[in-house]
Amino acid sequence: MNPEDYRLLIPQYLSGQLGPAETELFEAQLTASPELWMEVEELRSLWEGLGQMPQKQPSAALRFRFYQRLNAIDAKNRRAVRNKASWWQLGPLPQLAFGLALFVLGTYVGRVSLNSGVRPEEMAQMRSQVQSLREMVALSLLDRQSATSRLEGVSWGSRVERPDRELMSALVTALNHDPNVNVRLSSLDALEKFTNEASVRKALLDSIPLQDSPLVQIALIDVLVHIRDGAAAVELRRLSQDAEVNASVRQRAQWGLERLGL
Amino acid sequence: MKLVQAGDTSPLALLFERHHVALFRYLLHLTRNPALSEDLVQEVFFRVLKYAKSYDPDLSFPIWLYGMARNAYFDSIRKKRGEIGGDAFGEIKSPEPMPEELISRKEDVMLLQRALLKLPDDKREVLVLSRFHNLRYEDIARILQCEIGTVKVRVYRALKELRENFHELRGEKLYES
Repeated sequence: MNPEDYRLLIPQYLSGQLGPAETELFEAQLTASPELWMEVEELRSLWEGLGQMPQKQPSAALRFRFYQRLNAIDAKNRRAVRNKASWWQLGPLPQLAFGLALFVLGTYVGRVSLNSGVRPEEMAQMRSQVQSLREMVALSLLDRQSATSRLEGVSWGSRVERPDRELMSALVTALNHDPNVNVRLSSLDALEKFTNEASVRKALLDSIPLQDSPLVQIALIDVLVHIRDGAAAVELRRLSQDAEVNASVRQRAQWGLERLGL
Repeated sequence: MKLVQAGDTSPLALLFERHHVALFRYLLHLTRNPALSEDLVQEVFFRVLKYAKSYDPDLSFPIWLYGMARNAYFDSIRKKRGEIGGDAFGEIKSPEPMPEELISRKEDVMLLQRALLKLPDDKREVLVLSRFHNLRYEDIARILQCEIGTVKVRVYRALKELRENFHELRGEKLYES
């Protein structure tokens, strides 16, 4: 190597990117050439100076805008999945349930057309059967491996007017533990309909510390603020003061406290 | 990335959390404009979603990301020609009470900052990738789509020019005082 070749290696030497053999060769040349040694020392101080330069942080607004946009895309995708999914794509158990639902509906239509009317108790019974079938489909889909199926399960669950304890518990489990953020967000959407129940409000509150996604935490804060749950104050205050919590979540929790007038 | 390629958007949040600060700093060195850099960071992550299918798993994700950031930056130049610029380092330039013994070091760092800003874009970029992002020359060459030898020469020349700028600024400062 000529002297110029050694000079070109200086930045790599300073950043420790030379291999052992190259380093040995370079250092041998350093001891042999005072010019090279001087240049290395001078550039070393610059190299180290660069390392001391303060690095600017992006503002919290960047994270917030990113999650807002991602959320919008996710919501759009969820709507698309909901519209696209067909009963024949659901698998044997949901297909059976769907078939039974059609049977119940057919019976109902048949009775309406053949008789002058349906007794209220019969109507209530059929409605209850349809609800049960929806619950069955939802539970079956929520148990699936595929995130798309679980999203469908949440969607079916949200169509149940008064979910039983099992379905409610499955939705809360999905909110707290589903590995997919979209499923967790959908579960939250579904559960928001039932926040008139104290147990659901408590489940949402208990869910915040379990979430690792800032997106879900922010969505939970929004729901708790929307339903004006005063019990959320302690958790929101904790979030707003915890330096380990994501900055956007902290900011949203502070916003929530202000909205709740706390 | 495999999940993103399969249409799942949730890992994008994870990728964002891992890489957005480094990407912002890289873009800030290119644009010298924090607001524009933040816009570009966002743009880059949504390009990841859009072009996920074109991602080559053999290529490291950050390298692909930096390449995409670079394209987004050049696209923004084409769109807003003449609008880039601004003071990216307001924080550093603003006077701040410092213990006397730290002033000289702080001033040197400020001068170095200015010396870096005086470098031509191509030299500043290669130096930033090498020094601040600790990227290897092979990776920088992939991002810049050039030969490793070109990177080698450019980093060395950038460092030399930085030294000249720094001494020049130091001289001006000494002359002024």
